[in-house]
Amino acid sequence: MTKAISFDKISKKYGNKGIFQDLSFSINTQDVVGLLGPSGVGKTTILKLIASLEKPTSGKIDIFSKKISYVFQEPRLFPWKTTLENVVLPLRAAGFSKKKAIEKAKYSLYSMELSDFTGYYPSKLSGGMRQRVSLARALSLEPDILLLDEPFSALDTKMKDSLVGLLIQKLKERPMTVLYISHFPQEVEKIANKIFTISNTKRLTETLVPIAL
Amino acid sequence: MHEIVLASPIQATVALWDMVQTPNFFEHFLVTLKRVSIGILIGGFAGFSLGIIAGLNRDIKSLLEPLRWLLMSVPPVVVVVLAMLWFGMGSTMAVFLISVLVAPTIYINTARGIEMVDEDLVEVAKIYKFSFFTLLKDVYTPAIAGPLSAAIVLGTCQAARVVVMAELLGANEGVGYMVGFTRSNLEIPQLFAWVLTTLFIVAIFEFILFRPIQNYFVRWKE
Repeated sequence: MTKAISFDKISKKYGNKGIFQDLSFSINTQDVVGLLGPSGVGKTTILKLIASLEKPTSGKIDIFSKKISYVFQEPRLFPWKTTLENVVLPLRAAGFSKKKAIEKAKYSLYSMELSDFTGYYPSKLSGGMRQRVSLARALSLEPDILLLDEPFSALDTKMKDSLVGLLIQKLKERPMTVLYISHFPQEVEKIANKIFTISNTKRLTETLVPIAL
Repeated sequence: MHEIVLASPIQATVALWDMVQTPNFFEHFLVTLKRVSIGILIGGFAGFSLGIIAGLNRDIKSLLEPLRWLLMSVPPVVVVVLAMLWFGMGSTMAVFLISVLVAPTIYINTARGIEMVDEDLVEVAKIYKFSFFTLLKDVYTPAIAGPLSAAIVLGTCQAARVVVMAELLGANEGVGYMVGFTRSNLEIPQLFAWVLTTLFIVAIFEFILFRPIQNYFVRWKE
């Protein structure tokens, strides 16, 4: 297996506040890793470091792919763009022609059962639908690395189960490296083949999930 | 009230109707319209561009702050006098004046709008590697469209008022010049007709140009 992500003695501080120190781990390509731990241990910071939204205070991060998608806890859709435009925009930025970007976006929205809502603005969609658009946006790019930061935490159990099922199906169709943050081990176990747990002492332990995808 | 002091709305309307039928009216009307258009275009572009730069870079904002404060604090009539001194009478002076007075209003609203853009959305743009042009066109501009269009309307009203004053004091054509001319000749209904013309100029910009643009940008809020 080749490495997709490698953290070598990474430390991160915000001012004087240390988030973690000398954190080292690596993730192989197509690993689906669940990231567990209490609030404030730096799970989101790890994802932001991978996505280059943050820089480490010290240490070395190697990311062996440039195609990264990120689904946040909240959908983060552009309110002035329609559902379709929200998915098309990153595709256009990735270099797809307008025609190809629309085609891919429409397919991605279709697979999230949102074909009838392509012309809607996010304010007209329910919370679950908005998060599906966010997932469609992330998956339409066919990323090598997918970062999921508690993507379904604001949804009810039924919607959450449905979206987790949809995600599992998508990963079967097109495997990719996934880092999935959650507070709920049972949710992560459904999807991950490996679990990283960060404790309050900021130590990372790695566990293999017996039943993989 | 005596008709030398105030014309009735009917007298002003009749005078306007008579004026509209002379080529002289459109000559002056178009001169002012052109000056306001060019002034807003130059001032708006300068204010918007500098506002974007200042909104994204606090150091540049600190650098521009004294100039912004100066331009917003100096009374317009002082700027008119200086502009007449530097550019003489005519269009260059009027366009300079409008640009200089409109730019700070657009600048301050753009810079503040950029600073207030939701950082979460900017993070999305960074993750998906939007180019600066895409970021500007699809994230920043729609995000600040509301306050920006209000600033443009405010700037236009300001520009129309200032250009009339500038033309009255230092031009030999334009609506302001005709306001001065009719006042000198005590043609009070015509004077009020020219005042109405100024309102038309503002209305053209606000209702025909800016309002549809504003509606387009905020259509998602409906």
